[in-house]
Amino acid sequence: MGAQPLEPMRMPINNLINVVTSRRQALEMATKLGFGLPDATKIAVVVSELARNITLYTQGGAITLIPHNGQRKGIKVIAQDKGPGIEDVERVLQGGYTTSRGLGMGISGSKKIMDEFEIQTVAGAGTTIKAAKWLD
Amino acid sequence: METGTIQKLENLLLVAVPRDLMDEEVMRLRRDVAQEVRRHRSGWVLLDFAQVDICDSYFGRFIQSMAEMTGLMGAKVIVSGLQDAVVETLVELGMTLSNIEAVLDLDEALVFSRAGRKNSYVTPLWDKDKNGNAAALDQDGNFHPLADLKEV
Repeated sequence: MGAQPLEPMRMPINNLINVVTSRRQALEMATKLGFGLPDATKIAVVVSELARNITLYTQGGAITLIPHNGQRKGIKVIAQDKGPGIEDVERVLQGGYTTSRGLGMGISGSKKIMDEFEIQTVAGAGTTIKAAKWLD
Repeated sequence: METGTIQKLENLLLVAVPRDLMDEEVMRLRRDVAQEVRRHRSGWVLLDFAQVDICDSYFGRFIQSMAEMTGLMGAKVIVSGLQDAVVETLVELGMTLSNIEAVLDLDEALVFSRAGRKNSYVTPLWDKDKNGNAAALDQDGNFHPLADLKEV
């Protein structure tokens, strides 16, 4: 297989088709970076949850996948939107809390799966979630 | 966009869940399954996840709602074909699916549905025995491991 350098990838998220596309791209990138299938699947699920939240709660946003293939190998996932912001971050992180039709597991579950997980949210201005999972 | 294919097999309704379910497709699939359960008077709905490689919490909600809906129609949901990576992810997400039986494949699902029909021998009350294995509870409250039911 030719060692194609992996480039960061920014994907607009406006609908469910975008959700599906973004998680497929995440699965592919994670696999190329050397993650095994279970971990690559988990990363894809995190992207799916974050992208789905963008479609559920905001008018749109973007998911950026950043491959790290240097000394430290892994993947960074950044989810950005200009939505209403998350009112009660602590509660969302605990899990089981939802303001829509979900199970309330998306964010809390994603935090468990990733090695790094950080939420920046401003009421009325939007939310940025930065997450990373490392290979070592 | 393809929705799941639904097939009748004995007392089972087989639903091949497509790889990437969209919201509208979930609605349609649920409606179709309800219709088919009624038409065939199916006792069991088998959701086959063999094609699914990414299962997020939305999927979990889909399984749950399917179980609730078919339960109201007197049928039970069995889940099969969950891939290792999917199972690992569901567990890590912290998803617990209540009132749902999981089997490894179609063979095992048939054992379930066949045993469940033999009311004189086993009431369709599924549970786990002491060792955590799937088992059926008979009218006297004794557990029968799946393996034994094959001989019935």
